[in-house]
Amino acid sequence: MAAADSKGTILVVDDNPDNVEILRAFLESRGYAVSQAPDGRTALARMEQVRPELVLLDVMMPGMDGWQVCRTIKNHPEFGGSTRVVMVTAKGAFEDKFEGLRNGADDYVVKPVDFKDLLEKVERNLAARGSAA
Amino acid sequence: MRIVGYVGDTALQEALAEAAGRLGAELVSINAGAGGLAANADQLLPVLRTHPNALVFEVKPDLLATVRTETRARDISLIAACNGQEDVRRAVRCGVDDWMLLPADADQVHARLMALGYRPRAGGDQPVGELADHMRYEELLYDRFTGFPTLPVMLERGRELLERRGRMTVLYIEFVRYSKLEEIYGWEKLDAVLQSTAAAVRDFYDTRTSGEENLLMVSHTGDDDFIFFTDLPDAVETAERRINEITHALEQHVRGRIEAEHGEDVAGLFEIYVGSATLFRNPKIRPERIIYRGIREAAAAARGVESRERSRKVADLKETIREEAVYIVYHPIVVTETKEIYGYEALARGTHRALRSPEVMFGVAEEANLIWELSRLCRRKAIQGMDETLAAGQYLFLNIDPHDFRDPSFRFDEEDMNVPHPERIVLEITERTAITDYPTFQGYLRAFRDHGFRFAVDDAGSGYAGLGSIANLEPDFIKLDISLISGIDANFMKQNLVETMVQFANDNGIKVIAEGVERVEEYETVKQIGVHLTQGFYFHDAQTRGHVAGAATAKA
Repeated sequence: MAAADSKGTILVVDDNPDNVEILRAFLESRGYAVSQAPDGRTALARMEQVRPELVLLDVMMPGMDGWQVCRTIKNHPEFGGSTRVVMVTAKGAFEDKFEGLRNGADDYVVKPVDFKDLLEKVERNLAARGSAA
Repeated sequence: MRIVGYVGDTALQEALAEAAGRLGAELVSINAGAGGLAANADQLLPVLRTHPNALVFEVKPDLLATVRTETRARDISLIAACNGQEDVRRAVRCGVDDWMLLPADADQVHARLMALGYRPRAGGDQPVGELADHMRYEELLYDRFTGFPTLPVMLERGRELLERRGRMTVLYIEFVRYSKLEEIYGWEKLDAVLQSTAAAVRDFYDTRTSGEENLLMVSHTGDDDFIFFTDLPDAVETAERRINEITHALEQHVRGRIEAEHGEDVAGLFEIYVGSATLFRNPKIRPERIIYRGIREAAAAARGVESRERSRKVADLKETIREEAVYIVYHPIVVTETKEIYGYEALARGTHRALRSPEVMFGVAEEANLIWELSRLCRRKAIQGMDETLAAGQYLFLNIDPHDFRDPSFRFDEEDMNVPHPERIVLEITERTAITDYPTFQGYLRAFRDHGFRFAVDDAGSGYAGLGSIANLEPDFIKLDISLISGIDANFMKQNLVETMVQFANDNGIKVIAEGVERVEEYETVKQIGVHLTQGFYFHDAQTRGHVAGAATAKA
């Protein structure tokens, strides 16, 4: 798998294919392996298969919302502790940040995504994950 | 049934032998770890070819995968005995049928071997399904949190005791935590405290059972309660004394542990009540029913003790108010950048042992409808002690409950609030209590503000109130809830939130106070984010502690 020589595998979860494409292109250009899922259920199945180090998770999705997916990942007995979850939330939604804290998310970026901010947060979470493991 | 044990641990060898005996199973024991890897594999693999029903395997990481393949091919159930969490992870990852953490006693091994019979065997490679199944059974038999056996396992043992002795006693231990513990310290703290409690009970049980004591077993009932089955002396008096003894020793032990690990404040929020019931064998009634009935009786008895204690506390509170038996502790609030003391938060404590914790004291007052009386007393004492504790220019932070505004004597011009320097007093209003009547409330606030008093929104971030409703109160200070600060150095979400709060505060001319800073890493993080003021045990160091303690004893 491409993960072997990449800087880490990131799972991008978003129901909007354009968003996924933009994030994938950016992250791959920075040396990350990217896996993707259009909804929560697919995301959880991908978790089993690709075991990403980090999940970039949209909050507003049909079906399971991002919070539910986040809780499910974080409570997983096997990879819950070693996977970092970064939420993608609407700009300025203060309540979302509390929701993130309550649901065990590790970090968030606001939409529309600022790439510099995104990269910083991806890097710091992967670093924190490395030092905790 | 044939079981193969591949075990190095002697205690486990014995437990396995006993469990196999109870099941009437044939046991083939191989002493693990005697030779090297090759020798071990040579010994074990031929035995597996004889198609036993189950293998209890003390995890050897380099053998695990081979063993899993071999057992799966021959439809042998594999139970991994794990030395530590690392082994558990390995075992789960390679899909064992069951696992246990060492040390494990005969009861545990027995229960697991029994459980194998009920378990649907996973056919192919279904890691997720297997794992989920495993978790379910694990939860059924052993509490995940404490490792104690749950009721089904326990009934088995209780029945045995009842058969053997003709009698047994159930002790029901009820842990009552003050409901605000979670609100005040956050769920992470609550989890940690529950873990300490469980560890302390476990510990207590271990030391007791290693002696000649007949304390038989313990279980966690899903909630925060525990059940012991025990076998008491014949004479009623001795039996009662024994129950008291156990209760007392347990309470001391658990309280000591919580105090050591989480501090006196947290320990003060816990109460332990014990109820007991003695059961006798009756051949006409199913033993399970006798045991269930006993547990219910003991639980009811524990609740009885609780309600007696509660009415005693109300009596204590009335005496406290009559005799003004509260003292004030002043906790320093410092300027984050310079560590200079900016002011003090006044916290009232009861001198009665049971009312030492302010949360408990105010909780009792609320139940007994004495909240205004108690609040008045605490405000008066805090203001009286202000001059000897505070230097000129330092602020006094006073906790106010929104209820207090309805108290007709809580007015700036009434006796107890008619202070010489209202501009040095900051009234802290908690975000936790819902404010229902905003216009009236704001009217009260304005009257105090016009007189020079300042305001702080306390516990911001603990409730659902967003920045908008905080802004509505036009506070001078925002005190961030302890749950946002504890562990902030390792939590980006918390850092993000506090950053947002600080930005908001800066835009509105408000100062932010970080409460509950305990470690240097937390201090460094809030400093770097730009939080203006800081409070917490980190600052109760030699220089301030002497001061704080002095103030406390002077009032006691």
